Amino acid sequence: MVEKDILKKIVFLKDVPDSILEKVGAIAQLKTFDEESILFRQGQEEAFLYMIVSGKVFLNCRSVQGKSLTLDEVSEGRTFGVSALLGESSSTFTAVCAQPSSFITISGQQMRLLFEADFQTGYTLMLKLAELFRSRMEMHTRQFLHSLAMLPEVI
Amino acid sequence: MVKIEDLKRINLLRDFPDHLFEIIANEAQLNIFGAGTQLIAVTEPVNTFFMLIMGQVALKRELTSEIDIILDNLQSGSSFGSSSMIEGSKATYAATCQETCEIITLSGIRMQMLFKQNHELAYRMMFGVAQQYKKHLDTRAQMIMKTLDENPELKDSIKDIENLTLMI
Repeated sequence: MVEKDILKKIVFLKDVPDSILEKVGAIAQLKTFDEESILFRQGQEEAFLYMIVSGKVFLNCRSVQGKSLTLDEVSEGRTFGVSALLGESSSTFTAVCAQPSSFITISGQQMRLLFEADFQTGYTLMLKLAELFRSRMEMHTRQFLHSLAMLPEVI
Repeated sequence: MVKIEDLKRINLLRDFPDHLFEIIANEAQLNIFGAGTQLIAVTEPVNTFFMLIMGQVALKRELTSEIDIILDNLQSGSSFGSSSMIEGSKATYAATCQETCEIITLSGIRMQMLFKQNHELAYRMMFGVAQQYKKHLDTRAQMIMKTLDENPELKDSIKDIENLTLMI
């Protein structure tokens, strides 16, 4: 159980009504992990959604050729592991705690059960996710076109 | 009104229960569009959700006045224009029929109204839309990772590589 005041610190849950935060809080847990703890590995199914309350996490990936690359350093207020919400696909990165960190964790399966029991909650959160993904897609497309325009040899 | 059997051919609606298919079937229309028909224009509001039954549709962006970039070529079972079901959306690509197409259409405004009355419909549609966006984002991330793998010198010039992680 996680209080809604803590959930309100998470960017993804910003502007979500209290009634929904209470339902989400009821299936959420607060967990603390040591530095260098691996939350999940690249290629594994993402079972949990992670929301950082304090600390920092590295999101790393290993290429087919075996090279390691840090894609991101995630700090408090941010959420990762959203594949767990959609009940599909394995993770494209490994999540490692860069320092002792505390998280709100929510099982993807429990979250989907909540959505099936309460479609309004499901719709509210899926709409937020779809909007975020859409704006990310638009940004990728703009960057892709910008890159092509900068590289006339590609054309 | 369209046949439920036709709706069941659409990937995004794959796991929908029959009672929702009936609602969608009552709202939907089946259209035939000729080759070259522009269904969505860049920067224009997206008002319609399109579900492709037969034919091929290209999603394009203009790079220069002489060059169009094809972002995707959609085949039967695909859908596009999901922005129409989210308020205040404008198109970031143009959608053009590459050949004669059989397409089921839904009014975005009408769907948004139905979402207020039927939260199950709203949830299942938005779940499908989020899955669809994520699939596209994953494909792009894999392409970028493969390119970085082959050309590691490019990494330093990418300022927002973190966007590949879908961290929100």
